[in-house]
Amino acid sequence: MGAATAAPVADASSTPRGRSLADRIWTRRNGLRVLSLVTVFLVWEIWGRANPFFASYPTAILGASGRILLPEVLPALTTTVWALLVGMAISIPIGVMFGFAMARFRLIEIALLPYMNAIYATPRIALIPVLVLWLGIGFELRVTIVALGAVFPIIINSYAGAKHVDEELLDTGRAFMASERQLLRTIVLPATTPFVFAGLRIGLGRGISGVIVAEMTAALTGIGRILISHAKYLQIAELFVGIMVLGLFSLVLFDLLNRSQRRLTPWAATDGT
Amino acid sequence: MLEIAHLNKSFSLGGTKRVLDDFDLSMRPGEFVSLIGPSGCGKTTALRIVAGLLEQTSGTVTIDGSVSTGPSRDKAIVFQHFNLLPWRTAIDNVAYGLELQGMPKAKRMQVATEYLDLVGLTESAQKYPSQLSGGMRQRIGIARALAIDPKLLLMDEPFGALDALTREHLQGQLARICQERNLTTLFVTHSIDEAIYLSDRVVVMGVQPGRIIAEFHITMRKPRGDYNFRAEPEYAQVREDIWRLLEQQIVRAERVA
Ligand SMILES: Nc1ncnc2c1ncn2[C@@H]1O[C@H](COP(=O)(O)OP(=O)(O)O)[C@@H](O)[C@H]1O
Ligand SMILES: [Mg+2]
Repeated sequence: MGAATAAPVADASSTPRGRSLADRIWTRRNGLRVLSLVTVFLVWEIWGRANPFFASYPTAILGASGRILLPEVLPALTTTVWALLVGMAISIPIGVMFGFAMARFRLIEIALLPYMNAIYATPRIALIPVLVLWLGIGFELRVTIVALGAVFPIIINSYAGAKHVDEELLDTGRAFMASERQLLRTIVLPATTPFVFAGLRIGLGRGISGVIVAEMTAALTGIGRILISHAKYLQIAELFVGIMVLGLFSLVLFDLLNRSQRRLTPWAATDGT
Repeated sequence: MLEIAHLNKSFSLGGTKRVLDDFDLSMRPGEFVSLIGPSGCGKTTALRIVAGLLEQTSGTVTIDGSVSTGPSRDKAIVFQHFNLLPWRTAIDNVAYGLELQGMPKAKRMQVATEYLDLVGLTESAQKYPSQLSGGMRQRIGIARALAIDPKLLLMDEPFGALDALTREHLQGQLARICQERNLTTLFVTHSIDEAIYLSDRVVVMGVQPGRIIAEFHITMRKPRGDYNFRAEPEYAQVREDIWRLLEQQIVRAERVA
């Protein structure tokens, strides 16, 4: 903090030697990554050309991307994402509300917790046939599958978080004359936020796999249909385009989730900056 | 100012456990009283009842003539483990009590800044508790309590979780603040030295059940950080007397347990 401790650090980083060492490590690490990537692609290309119906190969996938990315995959992705986002948008408020209600009201907890655990444990795939009977195979089906997948982890995690708020902190609030509402807003809610995000992360994963399974088995639309139809005709390169777009898109969603968590819980940052 | 009369407290866990037995204490305005006793004798219980966080089995707590039955604006508490809200910056922690009272934002930030200055943490206003040392956290805990301008300050081993040097430093700071502001302070500790350093009066508690067994008025000039009060004959005498009493109680506690 003082000038005395800051000085040597500034010295070390201002000398060219100090900087170039850090640079060299960074460069070497990236160089290694590029090398690894090139090797993997090279091996895959050679091996894939020899077995074209097993795993395709990078240049073929690139070609397939050019053919189907814009006309086929992007509209399919929009279809999938729309159902995913609507399903998540429904399950977040419902999940958080139920979780809080169960944590705060003993009656609700006793009445609902067994169902929550039972439904959470049931594979949602098993519900698809009955949901098709009830909802058909349209948009509602896919939204429902997503919501069913996402809502329970959100409920269970919000519940666990809100249930185990530090009693000492609640007493602190009370000592400073917080009303029940103020306790909820200033202590229970922020204390539970990291748990809600943990639930969201599990819920998002389950939502993504849920919508894809529904699209592959019942709805026959979106990215799920792309995967199924190209597999059926052994269009392995096209199939891989679908898989990669889905993987990339999931990565983006999880990254968004992490970013919003960091924004909403800045106190939990581990570094001291 | 503060009047605690015939306070009794029992906990029922299977059987009933008597923790406080006819606890009586009165404090005059501006007085600094330390409550000292072996661990488990009921110091925290007594303080929590005064703070309004725990209900007594019988007896009354009166502040300035009116019976106190729960948390109120005229008393503030500082906890052993600081109990800062991790999601609030230093200044927002200090402003917490004022915010709960509905003070407008601009006004409470101004008051909170004032109290952060008082404890020497102006620079750290925007830091989160996780970015601060234990000593800094407790200074925020003290600023948070003082910010609501309480008539009575309650402190439960506030320096118990700090290292010896930080502890000594904060004792000096607290002594200065309490004297300047003429605060009425009830201070729980298990350090005899700390009690003598800070107090006008040291109240010694016995165990099983928890009750007051002796009182010592400390007459050495304040603030005591300004001179070597430990070299005074009064220091040695009081220290020795309190230690003898506490030793008996600790032996007694071990025999019963
Ligand atoms: N909520 C409680 N239920 C049962 N016993 C308690 C409870 N709180 C405190 N006690 C008991 O009361 C006694 C006094 O505790 P405490 O006031 O914390 O002591 P001190 O602060 O002096 O160390 C201890 O024996 C403790 O076990
Ligand atoms: Mg205690």
